[in-house]
Amino acid sequence: MKRELNVDHLTRVEGHGAVDIVLENDRLKEIKLRFTEGPRFFEFITRERRFNEIPKIVSRICGICYVSHRLASATAVEDAFRASPTEEASLLRKLLIVGEYLESHALHLYFLALPDYLGYPSAVAMAKEYPNVVKRGFRIKEVGNKIMKLIGGKTVHGENILPGGFASVPTREQLEEVSRWLNELLNDLEATLYLFDSLDYFELESPVELEMTLSDPIPTEMVSNLSLSDGTCFTKFEFEHFVQEEPSPYSTAKRSTVSGKPFRIGPLARVNRALDSFSDPVKDALKRLKISFPSRNPLHANLARAVEMLELAYRGMQLVEELLKRYPLKGSFELSVKEGTGFGVKEAPRGTLYHRYHFDSEGYCKGANIITPTAQLQACIEEDLKALVDAYSYLPDGELKKRAEMLIRAYDP
Amino acid sequence: MMVKIGIMGLTGCSGCQCEILNCQDALEKILKRVQISYFPLAQDNNEFEAFDVLFVEGSVSTSLDLEKVKKGREKSKLLVAVGTCACYGGVQSQRNDEATLEEMVRAVYGSDRLPVEVFKPKAVSQVVKVDYELPGCPMDKRQFVYTVASLLAGVKPFFPKIPVCHECKLSETECLTLKGIPCQGPVSFAGCGAPCTSAGVGCQGCRGNCDFPNFPQMVQLLKERGLSEEDAYKFLKVFRGYTFSRKEMGSLEDEKRA
Repeated sequence: MKRELNVDHLTRVEGHGAVDIVLENDRLKEIKLRFTEGPRFFEFITRERRFNEIPKIVSRICGICYVSHRLASATAVEDAFRASPTEEASLLRKLLIVGEYLESHALHLYFLALPDYLGYPSAVAMAKEYPNVVKRGFRIKEVGNKIMKLIGGKTVHGENILPGGFASVPTREQLEEVSRWLNELLNDLEATLYLFDSLDYFELESPVELEMTLSDPIPTEMVSNLSLSDGTCFTKFEFEHFVQEEPSPYSTAKRSTVSGKPFRIGPLARVNRALDSFSDPVKDALKRLKISFPSRNPLHANLARAVEMLELAYRGMQLVEELLKRYPLKGSFELSVKEGTGFGVKEAPRGTLYHRYHFDSEGYCKGANIITPTAQLQACIEEDLKALVDAYSYLPDGELKKRAEMLIRAYDP
Repeated sequence: MMVKIGIMGLTGCSGCQCEILNCQDALEKILKRVQISYFPLAQDNNEFEAFDVLFVEGSVSTSLDLEKVKKGREKSKLLVAVGTCACYGGVQSQRNDEATLEEMVRAVYGSDRLPVEVFKPKAVSQVVKVDYELPGCPMDKRQFVYTVASLLAGVKPFFPKIPVCHECKLSETECLTLKGIPCQGPVSFAGCGAPCTSAGVGCQGCRGNCDFPNFPQMVQLLKERGLSEEDAYKFLKVFRGYTFSRKEMGSLEDEKRA
């Protein structure tokens, strides 16, 4: 008996996606995850543009994780010109990342993911019975937005995030306020942690064993090395050697593998690998959770997001303290244009992000390559979907489809 | 009766749709009179039926986009393009005049075969009738709220196409052009509150043209602030999509104004 399940338009995800599943006699025959996102030609539209225009252009790849694209590209420009950010600029960038993660993770958890687990079609519908939960989501998002606006200039696509640092910096009073916002948010973030620990995630053991993160998996730390869970370490210069990308016949996202194998990136991979690096209060909170890390259940990425938000709020307050010691701040640093290739890697909310640019001696971009988390995850999500179908093929179509959607959504593609 | 609105995403970054989700307090009030019947980014229960207002984000870049926006137009009394991709074609269209589609596809995918039919990015108004445009990258959420509130009150929303310089005067932001920083304020459509100039960054022109932009003079000003002529054009092109053409803008000598 042949069964075909199609979800033509995945909802509550940022991109445009569809999934086709074919079963024969209760066994999986074929699975296709199709991203139908129109191409935006970023590797083409950055060509012939001067280095200082690049972060502005690539920012527009993603309206939710634009900070990641801007910082990865700014780092790549600085790398090409053999410049490194001053301590002050890097501290400000880290604080900016705290804002990015609060906004992106809270948006995902409360507005895209939670309706599944509480049985509603949307956060708006959920707000009627759980007004305080939805308001909490808004509060967390709002703090993230305010931090991004303060440091980046706008809540979305802030133009103050540049190669060579920042054109302007927050005042001492504004930074002290950031610390207050974060401190006041701790209760909400802990409540988020316990809420996402208490949800009823269905059982699923991912067949994907390989995980990849930056060698420091805490998202604020923009280091230059990457590490795989099999012990392999490599530098950002070798990224394209290890992560191989090929166009997919059915998806506009390219498909990536490491030594031919799918691999996991993103919040779950990071938390699995960061357990020793967390702050003490987060370590204590983790001990009180029902679910424990490391975990191989892809749905636990939701809880991992809640863990990361709490960790980053604590780090954010420390960053403010560090910055306050250094006033008056100088946010910018000099760049001298050189011919060369530059690389930038960053833990974006959805996983490792890679940017490479080549510049001529005048600073014009002559070639670019950008490998997004969604492209890297396509193969991993497909493997997880196969495991899901194998484990739950006895379920009726509607229920199986629902679970497939929840699984894909957990990656926030 | 509840007013039915839809929010549709074509090819873009979802930043404008996220701005709608950032309108927390206003959303609560709006939802007392409005039913969001279609918003795939944020809900499952979507009906693609008759809309009073359909908001469209993103450029028309694939056959799927074209089909969706055409159907949406048929089903909606009003169609509002939100964001610079929907209004002008977006950053993805900034080199439309520099290369063929094949070159663009090959540069990114290595081959010219794609699983969907693709064309050069277009603004929504290039394929269907658009009633209102809320440009900006992203659009300003206050303009979204203003538009919804005006339409609910039966008033036509109005967006004066004055230059961003006007906003800097209102907010008492020191003029960046006078400080020697390349700034597109004099030729760009105000309405954003000028957040970039107040952060010390020149206006990037993300909301497109103000009325009667004097591009030849703008290019001259940019050249005086360190940009080469070519770079000045590239800088002006980033967000203006089909609304900017170097050929039609004239020059300082012939006194022709765009």
